Amino acid sequence: MNRYARLVFLSVSALFMLVPLYVLVVNAFKPQQDILANPFGLPVEGLTLDFLAQALDNPQFNIFRGYAVTLLFVVAVNVLSVVLAGPASFVIARSPRRRYRLLMLAFLAGTFIPSQVLVIPVVYVLKTLGLMGTIQGFVLFETVLTLPFSIFLYAGYISTIPSTLDQAAAMDGAGRLRTFWQIVFPLMRPVVATMIILNTFSVWNDFVNPQIILGPGSGLYTVTTGVYAAVSQYSTDYTVVFPTLLLAIAPLLIFFVFMQRHIISGLTAGATKG
Amino acid sequence: MRSTRAGVATAIMVLPATVLYAVMLVVPVGLALYLSLTDWDGFSASPSLVGAANYADLLVDPDLRRSAIVTLLVAAVGTAGLNLLGLGFALLVNGASRANSFFRMVLFYPHVLSALVVGFLWSAILGTTGAVNSFITTRGGEVLPFLSDPTWATITMIAVLVWAGFGVNVVLYLAGLQAVPAALVEAAEIDGATRWQVFRNVTLPALGPSVTVNIVLSLVTLLKTYDLVVSLTAGGPAGQTQTVAYLILWNSFHDARLGFGSAQSVVLMIVTAALAFVVTRLRRRGEMAVHQ
Repeated sequence: MNRYARLVFLSVSALFMLVPLYVLVVNAFKPQQDILANPFGLPVEGLTLDFLAQALDNPQFNIFRGYAVTLLFVVAVNVLSVVLAGPASFVIARSPRRRYRLLMLAFLAGTFIPSQVLVIPVVYVLKTLGLMGTIQGFVLFETVLTLPFSIFLYAGYISTIPSTLDQAAAMDGAGRLRTFWQIVFPLMRPVVATMIILNTFSVWNDFVNPQIILGPGSGLYTVTTGVYAAVSQYSTDYTVVFPTLLLAIAPLLIFFVFMQRHIISGLTAGATKG
Repeated sequence: MRSTRAGVATAIMVLPATVLYAVMLVVPVGLALYLSLTDWDGFSASPSLVGAANYADLLVDPDLRRSAIVTLLVAAVGTAGLNLLGLGFALLVNGASRANSFFRMVLFYPHVLSALVVGFLWSAILGTTGAVNSFITTRGGEVLPFLSDPTWATITMIAVLVWAGFGVNVVLYLAGLQAVPAALVEAAEIDGATRWQVFRNVTLPALGPSVTVNIVLSLVTLLKTYDLVVSLTAGGPAGQTQTVAYLILWNSFHDARLGFGSAQSVVLMIVTAALAFVVTRLRRRGEMAVHQ
């Protein structure tokens, strides 16, 4: 295939990839009859912001509240995940003991278990602990789902950091905890960034876990469960569907456009965990 | 004294992660096995044991048979699609240039969106009154049953899964392509090999491990397809596009049969692990044959 044929083919493919996004954006600004009459046209005549405003003010699902709740979960899971997985990885990576190698294997095994399989027994565990339907229960479970892969990545990364650094810190009288947080952790920035990207997307986009653990009864909607509540019953009222979906994906898409290189490599690393 | 303090510090560092992991991941895996032997409805505090009854029900459940077939079809055809497009486009956008990084971004972006949103979006495009059908009918054409005919809906679902997912395979194959020795490709070209011959005899064998990783990942991911079913088809028409994961959650939370759902989960987990294992073994044997 010569250079021009390749470019033409890629451009046509790119167009096909982008058409759904185009349809989503243009129709978010049109009334229903315009959408039905001319779904692919630009909203020149009937251009309106009414439906976007309605979607922002949907009594069924307040999207700003959805952003806030989801962002809270994203931050909580990321912080907890680093605080739990970081020090544990440090001990695992630095200790030659058999018990830590076994612990590493136990965490690794967790990367192969799909969370859909876990959700039923986790409901049982959360009920027993009195955490079902609570923010704490949801955040703890989402955090646990991040642990296996975090520990795998962190421990691998820490083993590339010379242990002479820790020994020097120990000589200066720093304890293990302090050595980790003050000496080793600042050097882990790239791998922590990868994990944060990965966790941010997986928490933001998760649907099953918030839907089941938080449940519609809790009144707590993440962006995905809120979209489900707002859109699923009105799936042919396109003045609800398009503006709601646009608002749901806008933050992540903007984030993606600006950070695409990091996000692509982060999410691809995550995909390999299966 | 010093070693006790060090011991305490180590415990503080390792125990929280380990305990939480044990309670919320290790115990649940065991519980899934236990619950699969009970009639738990999700509410009662003490489910009663029913032996292997749930597993016996699995064998005769007509919904499960249908959904197992659909799921395997989705996994097999989807894996082929993801990998053909993934490898094909990786070859096309290989190499550093502004155009290539733009194309990579465009191919990848659907993966950033939640599968739930992707499904709602495509159902607004391909539904009976969706964008494509309104376009056709306002010009006097017939409605195309993308989501309303069982066979069409299955094909549509696979196509959307491939559309949304192959960007990841492109990136994974691109990483693999960096490991193909350039000297080998050059040598083959100097010897007069055609492009196809270079690809078939040099690039593809060198990509062996990437192919394995990609196929296993695609299979494992597709076997648990759930969110997209909820939003694209809601399992319809007539339950045709209900995947196993969809049926598990439906049986568990809609029909309040969590024991039965657990039995299905256990089987899905075993099937997934077994398929991943078999594919890895087969691929490894294939690679060894290539290198001999």
